[in-house]
Amino acid sequence: MATYDYLFSALGLQEWCESSGGSGPVSLSALRDSARGQDAAEISIWELPFPSMDALNEACQSFPRSRELTIGLERGFLSIKDSLSFVLDPLTQPLSWALEGSLYGVLNTPWWIIIPLLMLITWLVSRSVALLSFVTLGFVGLAFIDHYDYAMQTLAIILVCAFICVLFGVPIGIAMSRSDTMRRMTIPVLDMLQTLPPFVYLIPLIFLFSVTEPKLYGIAIILYAIVPVIRLTDLGIRMVDQSVIEAADAFGMTDRQKLFGVQVPLALPNIMAGVNQTIMMSLAMVVIASLVSAPGLGVLVLRGIRNLELGVGLVAGLGIVLLAVILDRVTKASLARINSTYKS
Amino acid sequence: MAEKRTILEIKHLYKIFGDDPRAALERVRDEGLGRAELMEQTNHVLALSDITTDVREGDITVMMGLSGSGKSTLIRHLNRLIEPTAGEILLDGEDVLSLSHEQTRRMRRERMSMVFQNFALLPHRTVLDNAGMAAATRGDKRADYEKDSREWLDRVGLGGNADQYPHELSGGMQQRVGLARALASDAPIMLMDEAFSALDPLIRTDMQDLLLELQEELKKTVVFISHDLDEALKLADHLVILKDGYVVQQGEPQKILLEPEDDYIVDFISDINRARVLRVRSVMNESGDPATANAVEVDHDDTLESVLAKSEGAMEARFVVIRDGAAVGTLDMPEVVKALVPAEASESGMRTHAT
Repeated sequence: MATYDYLFSALGLQEWCESSGGSGPVSLSALRDSARGQDAAEISIWELPFPSMDALNEACQSFPRSRELTIGLERGFLSIKDSLSFVLDPLTQPLSWALEGSLYGVLNTPWWIIIPLLMLITWLVSRSVALLSFVTLGFVGLAFIDHYDYAMQTLAIILVCAFICVLFGVPIGIAMSRSDTMRRMTIPVLDMLQTLPPFVYLIPLIFLFSVTEPKLYGIAIILYAIVPVIRLTDLGIRMVDQSVIEAADAFGMTDRQKLFGVQVPLALPNIMAGVNQTIMMSLAMVVIASLVSAPGLGVLVLRGIRNLELGVGLVAGLGIVLLAVILDRVTKASLARINSTYKS
Repeated sequence: MAEKRTILEIKHLYKIFGDDPRAALERVRDEGLGRAELMEQTNHVLALSDITTDVREGDITVMMGLSGSGKSTLIRHLNRLIEPTAGEILLDGEDVLSLSHEQTRRMRRERMSMVFQNFALLPHRTVLDNAGMAAATRGDKRADYEKDSREWLDRVGLGGNADQYPHELSGGMQQRVGLARALASDAPIMLMDEAFSALDPLIRTDMQDLLLELQEELKKTVVFISHDLDEALKLADHLVILKDGYVVQQGEPQKILLEPEDDYIVDFISDINRARVLRVRSVMNESGDPATANAVEVDHDDTLESVLAKSEGAMEARFVVIRDGAAVGTLDMPEVVKALVPAEASESGMRTHAT
């Protein structure tokens, strides 16, 4: 006898309950109860169990248990998995190629080309001697302690993923700024992506793609990091001074002229702030992604944790910080340059 | 002077803001609800109520009113930035409201330009690019319009600033760019929405003089919105005074000044400098015999202030009024003084309520 027996007898469902009696696996608590010889006789009001699926199953064998929910979810996912990866695999294959290509590129180009190239990019976007010397010192320092390869792998992954985030994020942000319906539909998705613990969306991805493929961590990083660039593009375009928009209308601009001639340029400071955030978030994710075979500094951090190699983990961690500061400063410097030409 | 052609006609224009403007319009038309009653009973805002006015080609038509009088709403109807609830707007006899999107865009590109109170320049483009905005919007090549834009910048006194960005200029200079942008579009009609209101008084006067000087030569059709009576009287060929969304009085500014029809207008004009605004032509005696006057000549377009200066205070002075070199009438000092007697602020006007 279980607590909720009366419920099923009152509903006249006893027959249905007994029809599949005892078919399910025996639960641990039922075993324990039968071992103790208690048949759940008199239960005081203080110990009344919540009418959960498991408690109801005790009273009626035909009632599903909660573990059938997780099993069902898993089976459902596995049953659509093949067709899903049939569609997603070719769609995401370019991402694998891009990641493989850039990883191959940074590792097979000599350091005396890569480091000056990075210095040149820094100089072009920032025009600041102080920043240039900081970046140079940073990379030379990482190379000096033999972390050059790891750092370059991390950098390559981040740049590819951030580029793809911008490629998709900016158009999505523009679409959101132009349609309130689109915005209403997108915002819950963005909220979910932002609040979901990063480990959680690794789970379905592991089932969908093989762990050796770069696109697995690529997708994880992109999903995690794309949110700010979308949000800030939308916000930036919505915040464009209405009087300037009115002037554009009054002079007969088409929607396209208005978008590319006025709204996007004026939203650029915001979009760039979004790109900065996106790069920072890809950097955060790249460490977690090393759990699923992403190469780079994250691998060393992971080694530090797994093998309790304190020094390895700390140095790699500090290397990531250094990379973060470099990326942040360089993007902010270019943002500041955009702002100085633009804002009144 | 030949009667000027009417280029823009506004007929029975209504604009109501709210959830169901059509139903509210019925009530305004049938029950004659005013703005306050409509707000109270239906929570709709009656922004414009039965506006009918003509804009003549080559004139500066000033629409004046205090804030909330609907003047900025009205000017935005002319190029359809705002759609009316009811009424007609005819541009050269063609109904603006029946134009398709494409036609509306073409009208805005080719026939109307606009100057804004807060300048509304493109902050990421140089002054030169801003001046060439209309041409660039029409799809012209930069090389084709650059020379033209530079000329217009020269005309408004910004020849040396072409490569600067708007935020590097002062407010007055920014509005000069706004003016150059509107002029460079070559549109025959120029809409100016409180174009000079955000500027310092001295710069405002400069800009008004600049506009009048350019107008002398260009003869654009200008619709000018203002809340400043002095500015309105200085610029206007035709003055439309709005209050709470309806037209209180319209006509030649001198006439409005001499024959105000409404207490509201009396209040408005009671503290302007009449001597500086009233012109000889409005008060002269056309039937007077020029031969009887002494030799002092005044132009028909002179202000009474300058007449007072010429009279040197002599009450018996008599002047000959000259237009285009010919004597057209006489002016006696008593008439001048009579015209200068200020209109009293009315008993029922807002002045007395305000205290």
